[in-house]
Amino acid sequence: MLFNVHYRLERRTTTLLIGIVVAASIGGLVEIAPLFTIEGTVEAAPNMRVLTPLEVAGRDIYVREGCYLCHSQMIRTLQDEVDRYGHYSLAVESKYDHPMLWGSKRIGPDLARIGGKYSDEWHVRHLIDPRAVVPQSIMPRYAFLAQRDLKTAELGENLAALRAVGVPYTRDMIDNASADATAQVAADSSGAAALLKRYGEATNVREFAGSTSRVTEMDALVAYLQMVGKQTNIEDDAGANKKPPDND
Amino acid sequence: MKEIIRTLTTGERQAALAIAICVTVIGLTMAALGNGDPFGIHGYVVMAYGLVATIFLIRCYNLPPSNVDRAGSYYDEPIKVAVVFSLAWAVVGMLFGLWAALQLAWPSLSFDLPWSSFGRIRPDHTTGVIFGFGGNALIGTSFYVVQRSSRARMPDQVAPLFVVLGYNLFCVLGATGYLMGVTKSKEYAEPEWYAGLWLVTVWIVYLIIYLRTLARRKEPHIYVANWYYLAFIVIVAILYVVNNLAVPISFTRAKSYSLFGGVQDAMTEWWYGHNAVAFFLTAGFLGMLYYFMPKRAGRPIYSYRISIISFWGITFFYIWVGSHHLHYTALPEWVQILGMSFSLMLLVPSWASAGNALMTLNGAWDKVRDDATLRFMMVAAVFYGLTTFEGSFMAIRPVNSLSHYTDWTIAHVHAGSLGWVAMITFGSLYAMVPWVWKKPSMYSPRLVEVHFWCALSGAVIYVLAMWNSGILQGLMWRTYNEHGTLAYSFVDSVVAMHPYYIARALGGLIFLIGVLVCCYNVFKTVRTPVDAFGPARRKVEDALGPVPLPRPASSPLPRPAE
Amino acid sequence: MTNLYAMLAIFAKAYGLFIFIGLSVAVIAYAYWPANRERFRKAAKAVLDEGEEDKPWR
Repeated sequence: MLFNVHYRLERRTTTLLIGIVVAASIGGLVEIAPLFTIEGTVEAAPNMRVLTPLEVAGRDIYVREGCYLCHSQMIRTLQDEVDRYGHYSLAVESKYDHPMLWGSKRIGPDLARIGGKYSDEWHVRHLIDPRAVVPQSIMPRYAFLAQRDLKTAELGENLAALRAVGVPYTRDMIDNASADATAQVAADSSGAAALLKRYGEATNVREFAGSTSRVTEMDALVAYLQMVGKQTNIEDDAGANKKPPDND
Repeated sequence: MKEIIRTLTTGERQAALAIAICVTVIGLTMAALGNGDPFGIHGYVVMAYGLVATIFLIRCYNLPPSNVDRAGSYYDEPIKVAVVFSLAWAVVGMLFGLWAALQLAWPSLSFDLPWSSFGRIRPDHTTGVIFGFGGNALIGTSFYVVQRSSRARMPDQVAPLFVVLGYNLFCVLGATGYLMGVTKSKEYAEPEWYAGLWLVTVWIVYLIIYLRTLARRKEPHIYVANWYYLAFIVIVAILYVVNNLAVPISFTRAKSYSLFGGVQDAMTEWWYGHNAVAFFLTAGFLGMLYYFMPKRAGRPIYSYRISIISFWGITFFYIWVGSHHLHYTALPEWVQILGMSFSLMLLVPSWASAGNALMTLNGAWDKVRDDATLRFMMVAAVFYGLTTFEGSFMAIRPVNSLSHYTDWTIAHVHAGSLGWVAMITFGSLYAMVPWVWKKPSMYSPRLVEVHFWCALSGAVIYVLAMWNSGILQGLMWRTYNEHGTLAYSFVDSVVAMHPYYIARALGGLIFLIGVLVCCYNVFKTVRTPVDAFGPARRKVEDALGPVPLPRPASSPLPRPAE
Repeated sequence: MTNLYAMLAIFAKAYGLFIFIGLSVAVIAYAYWPANRERFRKAAKAVLDEGEEDKPWR
């Protein structure tokens, strides 16, 4: 009798279909839904900065070139990783990352704390010809980034879309996105002052790739790289206490 | 192709033409709107795809209809198209894989062009082999299996063709997009929002066709292979939709931002990513196994009951395990532990399936010895067992702390994809190609044999190289010297990988050569007239005993009385 | 939302394991139910015998 139920379940394809969907939904619901509801999944970081338009453009280039395929941005809570790369990554640090760029493979080193580690000049030289800086490197050359002008005109659309998915960009930021992108490579300009007012004094404003008059894709990518891991003050706050939590 | 058009009625030709024109117009609109953006270039791609179909349909519009008895035969033409696409993508995808592998050994092989850097061609490799090769093989074989095991013809003439051709348009959009830098950066779900929308459309039609064919079946019981195919179709749809929720920055530009961010996005991505492994690369191919292996061996599945138990086990357990990709990360630990526990439990249904497959062959080992096609399937089952064991092992947190981020993962993936997915696919294709093209056998059983040894040795070399490099890499990263500091810089580990990267490329090359042999063999099988299949070529089939040889569908034999 | 989550969490922790055991018992019982034996045997054999001809049943 009981198995007449199952008999019907297979006689009627739709019922089998529903059975499959139900069986396969439980795990996903149990694991994913709470991540949105449990407080503490993502730590609080009151002073978290958003990326500037130039940095957003740089992040888009990072995605476009598939950098995430060789470089992770997720330092695990393991002693050797903390010793090699710095404080382990916290959930809040990628809170505004749509999509996240945690990565799954380290053909190259982790980049979660690359920001501020090397000079702009080092990054530019390294991106133009990695083997000129690290002879054994197997990274592709990205010299073309320095030749290409960044398309700044439509960056407002990018910011608006990010706002739609939850990144707290203000109307002001969206409206001035392209001006801010140009201003970020030109310190001392009036635009730069406005940029700093909108995004905070800690924003990097300088000629990343060596020119104040022209904004290239190289500027954007370097600006982004210098900001990776710097959106919160986690590393500074943690100071000497770099021990990972209890590990098995 | 012309033969396919000839099977269509005038109304169906008009419907097909209408769809082709629609696609062309959509492409034209995209091209016009996406001025200067890759979105516009993709518009031209879509338009070209639609235009080729339109012109072809117009040129064939007045062909006289063939006198095939449609109601009295199965609909195999879409299967043939899928097989051809599948093999073509196999070559494309593996060529990209080989190129990417060579770039890691010799980086100058990217020739410093923007489109050819490792980061851009690597998704071409994964999409080409998983979705191009694997996906087309799944669609093709599922159409075959659902019709035969239900003893019912697929409904509609145009819809199955639409599914195959539409699906390949998705693959083309993906593959061309990555080269232009169009990617969502979510692994195995890279194509941008518009390609995703198109895929969902195609997929819904696919599901409907499948369900409608099942509804016409003869026996009340649905054969278990169809359960697996059904789980593949429906769960992949759910996974894909949820993981691809995104906000386009504009409807005239390619770029979009994922709806989820940070930790939630990571969990969603690997929930999708690992279940792409589960429901795309496992469930679907188990469907293949449960049909083609018994057919080819001439023996029923060892235990039909175990196949049912493992079906529900796989469907239920797999969904939980995605978080094992995120051990020791910022993902809450309870999710990691759940992922690990279920990964271990998953070993039970996985080994039940692998054991069931091997036990099916028990008693037919002479056939396995003589028939490379059946041997492909057997090796696939062995690799499936090994890979699922390795997978569960790697999901254990301390093991994962060593293996994650290293080439060990690459070894694991390729043990699964080369050893299990590709082997079962080639086994099934070698069985199915003569059946759908109504030939007595493959053109050359010897070339099947050659392919088998290429595939096996290529896979073994590849996997061994990556195991070595992965474990070496993992150990180098965590080794401390006597002063308590890290012993190796990162670049030391890069240098140490060099010989293994060369060995890996060699393994891949051998595997690819096998695939080229397969393409030639399939081509010759299709082109050689039935009469030209000599007795020598039938030898394997004779040794096998009753391999079912379908009669031509149009044969004027009386239909069996019902 | 948090309340709902708390309720569900309590429920899952208290009964989750039993539900899983129940589900697996149900699947195994179904697969090994004596009355189903004949049907599965037939199904397993059916693919090997798809009729005299390679054509649909109606």
